[in-house]
Amino acid sequence: MKYFAGIDIGSTMTKVVIINNGIISSVIGPTGPEQRRLANKVMEEALNKAVLAFESINYIVATGYGRINVPFADKQVTEITCHAKGVANLFPEAKTVIDIGGQDSKGIKIDNGRPIDFVMNDKCAAGSGRFLEITADALGINIEEMGELALQSDNPAQISNICTIFAEQEVVNKLAEGIPLRDLVAGVLESLASRVSRMVKRLNVEETVVITGGVAKNAGLVKALSDKLGYHVSVPSEPLLTGAIGAALLGKDLVMKAEKDGQYLERKKRSLREIEIL
Amino acid sequence: MAEEKKKHKKRRTATKAAASIGPMVKAAIGGTIKAKEEGKKTAYSFIVCLYDEILRAMDIVPVWTENYAGVCGAKRDAERFLERAESLSFSRSLCTYALCGLGFDQWREELAEMPPDAPWGGQARPDMMLSSGQILCDPRNKWYQAAQQFMPDVPIHNVDLPYPFYEDDIHYSEVQDYYIKHIMEELRGLVAFLEKQTGTKMDYDRLRETVDLGERTWNLLHETYELRRAVPTPMGTGDAMNTMVPMAFMLGTQTAYDFYAELNKELKEKIARKEGVIENEKYRLLWGGGLPSWFALTDFNYFNSKGAVFPAETTYRMIQPIYNMYMPDTNDPIERLAWRWFGYWVYWYDQARKRPGSHPDVEWLIQYIEDYQIEGVVMHEAFSCRTWHLGLIWQLNQLAKIYKPIPVLMLGKDGSEKKSNRELPSLVLESDIIDITTYSEIDTRNRIDAFIETLESVKQSKTN
Repeated sequence: MKYFAGIDIGSTMTKVVIINNGIISSVIGPTGPEQRRLANKVMEEALNKAVLAFESINYIVATGYGRINVPFADKQVTEITCHAKGVANLFPEAKTVIDIGGQDSKGIKIDNGRPIDFVMNDKCAAGSGRFLEITADALGINIEEMGELALQSDNPAQISNICTIFAEQEVVNKLAEGIPLRDLVAGVLESLASRVSRMVKRLNVEETVVITGGVAKNAGLVKALSDKLGYHVSVPSEPLLTGAIGAALLGKDLVMKAEKDGQYLERKKRSLREIEIL
Repeated sequence: MAEEKKKHKKRRTATKAAASIGPMVKAAIGGTIKAKEEGKKTAYSFIVCLYDEILRAMDIVPVWTENYAGVCGAKRDAERFLERAESLSFSRSLCTYALCGLGFDQWREELAEMPPDAPWGGQARPDMMLSSGQILCDPRNKWYQAAQQFMPDVPIHNVDLPYPFYEDDIHYSEVQDYYIKHIMEELRGLVAFLEKQTGTKMDYDRLRETVDLGERTWNLLHETYELRRAVPTPMGTGDAMNTMVPMAFMLGTQTAYDFYAELNKELKEKIARKEGVIENEKYRLLWGGGLPSWFALTDFNYFNSKGAVFPAETTYRMIQPIYNMYMPDTNDPIERLAWRWFGYWVYWYDQARKRPGSHPDVEWLIQYIEDYQIEGVVMHEAFSCRTWHLGLIWQLNQLAKIYKPIPVLMLGKDGSEKKSNRELPSLVLESDIIDITTYSEIDTRNRIDAFIETLESVKQSKTN
């Protein structure tokens, strides 16, 4: 039996998936400066869950912003390619992927599981999960509560999506004005959805549209995005894992192709070590 | 910042010609200071303003203010001038070339000498400032007005250089005579202003020779850049950001002509040896618009390290060979200049009309994509340059209507029809021309990595 691992080190969360013919183990943990250095610990946890030794893994692909900090990976691939691959595996008919991460957002146009174009916002927190974290904090609620609260609103407040810092102050002021919390939260989600949809529309969005990243768990945001785009937006059962799944699948493809060509893809980095320089 | 400056590596060039540009620009900037010492007249000037040959014919030394701001940016030493301009209440969202220049000018005027450690010796104080009213760029009209508050004794002359808008249902020939007449009047007004400032009459025989040299330089530059169609391409956009210097800053001089003659020879030799920018050329890209981040030109090397080359760019290729445009049989160099300006713009109007639904701003890209076997488009949105960068996304959207993974009928230049079904991935980089605080090398290179993977993915799809 062959095993493949994908490790996706994002700005907020680190995700590891181990597969053979299906997913046999996955771990999601917070990324911090220390965790970024200790990607090996997260990998170890996933191996323990799968009851596998590191040496049993045939190939490891690292992705995400922290992909260069994974010294035991055999290959680094960007999150654009990995999300495309992961989503296509879960939704073979998918044409558009929207990934809203902790510090950026991306739109990916895919064809047969391969990215053919993409757009990316890595300049402004107002288009990322960070926008929700900060406004949730300002409103004194958990980020997990936002989706359900927003769905109760029929009069979303107008919130600026130009700047996260100003939006934080804006929601505090509007709360003081007596605007109901549900309307404020709905306004915040609409604001983020509006910013992301504007960016993604550059790609000429086609169905099926799939959203990934932690923000995808927010039903209010998914609805707002769906309304803005005019398409149903599908959500994977675990939207945080698609990048890591795609990474593992890419590793599997590489090994299988090499075998088909009569080659053996030898792993050179056979030690589960932490990064030496960060 | 000092540490960052020290660590920053210079861009590797593919051609000897591009490598020779740095010393050439340094000498030219030093030359403006020397010219002042020798009592020659100097003029603050903008590129692509049609007055190059007029200045050369009157021995007025142009001080290219955009160029100097770019040099400050490339040397990663613009921040202190930008901050100074900001402290004078100029918004940071204005053109950062202008901000850098204004910060520098105010500092130089305050000290009555060059600011400390001014890059390449500093920018000479002008005897006059030649602004330009263009649709192309509004700071060209306002920058020198703002600078005049620090140099109230330095006169400004504005040259209005309009070109007609592209209209689907109105042909430019209907307004052509008006435009030519107006531009000629503007140029004659400029000559009168310069004659007054220098106390010397224009020698029209000399101007004729200079304009003739400028036109021959345009033709030669076009022919030279067309050599880059070769596979592998012998020169990329990274180098072109250097080799544009003689065209943009030295037009009408023998130095500029000789430079392109030498570059032409070098490219032909490289093509004969099948020597490309890189050994294994995998992806051919178009720099489809936007000025570069002058402090991050090594990003072109990064593209190269991934197997990508740029055989063509729209930036700084604002020329067309004279034989491609209408030029009346006239002995008047001013009239020739006016027709050259007009002819350059309407050349693309004519091209666009041949392709139903096209537009000059897109036609330019389509022709380069076809002629140079382009597989992807890269653009740069510089936040502070509204005029150049507005419309880039629209251009990409138009291209996306043409380049799709379904068969689309393409029209050749000769009217021939052929089916094309290819995607054209695009990448938009976001930063600024000289404001380094807008730039993140990690994020930029992450985008480049993703773009290269997308190009490879499209290539693989076709193979399969």
